[in-house]
Amino acid sequence: MDVSRYADLFLSESREHLTAFNHLLLEWEREPAAREPVDGLFRAAHSLKGMAATMGYAAVAELAHRAENLLDLVRRGPAPVTPAQLDLLFRAADALERAVGAAVAGRDDAAPHAALVAELDAEVGRAAPAPAAARPAAPAVPAAGKGVAVRVTLSPDAVLKGARALLVLARAGALGAVQAVTPTPSEMEAEAFDGRFVFRLDTAAGPDRIEAALRAAGDVESVEVVDESAEAAPDAARGRHIRVDLRRLDELMNLIGELVIARGRLDALSARFAEPDLADVTHDIGRLSASLQGEILQARMVPVWQVFDRFPRMVRDLARQMQRQVAFRVEGKEIELDRAILDEIADPLVHLLRNAVDHGIEPAEERVARGKPAMGQLVLAAVRERASVAIRVSDDGRGIDRARVLHKAKELGLVADEVEQLSDDDALAHLIALAGFSTAEHVTDVSGRGVGIDAVTTTVRALGGSLEVKSEDGRGTVFTIRLPTTLAIVRALLARVGTETYALPLTHVAEMAESRRGEVQLVQGREILMLRGQAVPLVRLWERLGVPHAGPRPTSQPVIVLAMGERRSGVVVDALLGQQEIVVKPFEPPRGTTPVFSGATILGDGAPALILDAGGLI
Amino acid sequence: MGHRVLVCDDAIFMRTMITDILSGAGYEVVGEAETGLQAIERYRALNPDLVTMDIVMPDMGGIDAVREIVKQDPNAKILMCSAMGQQALVVEAIQAGAKDFVVKPFQPSRVLEAVQRVLG
Repeated sequence: MDVSRYADLFLSESREHLTAFNHLLLEWEREPAAREPVDGLFRAAHSLKGMAATMGYAAVAELAHRAENLLDLVRRGPAPVTPAQLDLLFRAADALERAVGAAVAGRDDAAPHAALVAELDAEVGRAAPAPAAARPAAPAVPAAGKGVAVRVTLSPDAVLKGARALLVLARAGALGAVQAVTPTPSEMEAEAFDGRFVFRLDTAAGPDRIEAALRAAGDVESVEVVDESAEAAPDAARGRHIRVDLRRLDELMNLIGELVIARGRLDALSARFAEPDLADVTHDIGRLSASLQGEILQARMVPVWQVFDRFPRMVRDLARQMQRQVAFRVEGKEIELDRAILDEIADPLVHLLRNAVDHGIEPAEERVARGKPAMGQLVLAAVRERASVAIRVSDDGRGIDRARVLHKAKELGLVADEVEQLSDDDALAHLIALAGFSTAEHVTDVSGRGVGIDAVTTTVRALGGSLEVKSEDGRGTVFTIRLPTTLAIVRALLARVGTETYALPLTHVAEMAESRRGEVQLVQGREILMLRGQAVPLVRLWERLGVPHAGPRPTSQPVIVLAMGERRSGVVVDALLGQQEIVVKPFEPPRGTTPVFSGATILGDGAPALILDAGGLI
Repeated sequence: MGHRVLVCDDAIFMRTMITDILSGAGYEVVGEAETGLQAIERYRALNPDLVTMDIVMPDMGGIDAVREIVKQDPNAKILMCSAMGQQALVVEAIQAGAKDFVVKPFQPSRVLEAVQRVLG
C-alpha cells in the first residue's frame, strides 16, 4: 500500500495527539495521583505509535513505543508519577514533535533520539525489572472518526482473556478496519485485564452482523455497537467533520469575494435601470451570496483553543527556565476566529506571554517582599465584543517601568528632554510599539532579542486590529489585542474625500457625528469636538493623507468616530457614502510611509478604494 | 460431521485424550504428530480439515509449525492447545495464524466448542 498520500493527514492527526499529550502531562503534573491523564496519555502515545508504524516511520513509532511503555508501567504501578518521569515524558513529547516533523519531511532518523530512548528504557527498567516484550503495533488505519465504536465484554470465566480478545479483533478485522483498540493488546495480556475492551470498526456491516461475527470468536458475553455520532456528541472536536485543506477555503473565499464585487455591480445596474424583474433577481442573488458568504466565513472559524492549547506547556517551561512561580489560566477558549487570523496571532501572543513571564512577573522572593503572593498570575483571555474579538494577556507582575521607557525614549530622541513623567498609557503604548524599542537590559533566551512590542503591533495592525496597553506600577500589565473576527470580507463605511473613496472597516467605528463650525474647539493646538461631554480629537482625513483638498469648507462636515478601548478619534471626511461589504485585498504599503492603509478593495462600480487602518488614525 | 483432524502433541496422554474427545463427537482423527516438523509433514500429506497443535514440542515448537503450515496453506484451520499462563505464546500463535485456542486441563465441551468455531 502506498501510504505517502496519508502524510498530511498523519501530520495533522499526530499534532493533535501531541497537543493532547502535552496537555495531559500538565494536568498530570498538577495531580500526580489522578487516573484520567495517564489513560489519555497512554492512548495518545499508542495511537501515535500505530499511525507511525503504518506510515513506516520507525523512529517515531519507536519513540512513541518507549513512551507508551513508561506510561503503561506507571499507570499499572501503585506509585504516583515522579517528577523525573514527568520530565522524561515532557522531553519525549518534544522529541516526538521533532521526529514527526522530520519523518514527514523524509528524515525518519532514530539517531537524534537514541539517548532519550535509552533514558526511557532505563526508567522503565528501574520501575519494573522485567518489562513485557515489545510487540508489533496493532495496525491502525490513518483515518479519523470513521466507523462505529464497538464494546465487547468477555465471559467472566473465559481463560486467557487477552488471547480471546485478539481472536475477537481478528473476527472484527474480517469485517473492516479495526482501530483505536482500548486497552491496547499488550495491556490485555496483563493479568489485570477484565475482559472489557472497545475499538473502532470501519465496516459496512450492521450492528447485528457485527455482533454475530464477534460472538463467533467464543467466550463473548456481550457486544455493543455504539453509534459513533451519538457517542462523539459530548466531544465537540470529533463528530461529523472532514478535513479540508485551508488553501481550498482560501480559494473559495476569493471566489466569493469576486461574487460579492459582481453583486455590487449588479446592484448598481439594477438601481440605474429600475426594472422590477431585474430588481428581483438582484435581490435574490444578494440574499444567496450573503448566505454563501456566511457559510464560508463560518467554515473558516476555529475556536481559539486550537492555538491557545499550546501555551500552558510553553508558560510552564518558561516559568521553570526563568525560575518564576506562575499560575497560568486560559479563558474564553471556545471563542472563534478566522483561521488565518488565528494563525497570525499565535506569534504575537507567544511574545506577550514570554514578556509577561520574563519581565512582568517578579521572582518569588521579590513578590513576597512586596507583599504579593509568591505565585504570579498570568491570564490569557479571549472575549467576544461587538464586531471584534479581544484577546487579553494580563499579569500581576511589576508593570512596565515607565521611568526606563522614558529614559530610553529620550535617548532615542522620541520624547523631549523636558518631559518628566510618562503617566499616559497611550503614550506608553505608542513608545513601546516603535520599532527597535526594547528596554531589556540584557538579551535573554526568552525575550529581549531586539524585536519587541513593535513586532506585535505590526502583525496586529496588518490584521486590521489594534493593541492597547495598561500598566500599573507594581500591580501588573494588561495587553489587549482587538481583532476583526474574520479577515477576508468586512463591513466597512465608505467615505469620500475630494474625489477619492475610502473604506473604513466597522471594527473600530463607534458612531457617526457631525462637526458644525463653531462647535469645534481648539485645545493645545488640536481641534476637539465635544461629544456628550467627551472630548474627541479631530483628524482631517485629507490632511492626514496629504491629498489635495480645495474648495470652501462647508458649515458642517461628517465625522466618523473611531474608538479603540478608551481612546477616541473623529475622522472628518467630505461625505459618507454608506455601508458596504468589502473584500479585503492585502496591501503592502511602500516602506517608510505612514501606515494608514491596511489594504485595498474593489467597489461595486469596479473602482478601487483604499482601506483605512483605524489604528493609524487614532 | 466427519471432518478429518490431525492431532499434534508430544505427550501420548494428551493425544489420546484429544482423539477420544473428538472421535466421541464424530470427528475422524486421521493422523498424529509428536513434533512441529512432523506436524508440517503430516499436514502436507494428509491435508486435514483441522489441526490441534500443542505449543511446546521438541524439534520445532507449535508456533513455528503454525507459521510454516499457514505459509503453505493460508486457509489452514489450526486450534492451539495451551497450558494456563501461556498467554503471550497463544497471542503469538494467533498472530502467526492460529484460529482459536483451548486451555489445559481440557474440558471436552470447551474443546468441541472451539473445534466447531474453527470449522464454522
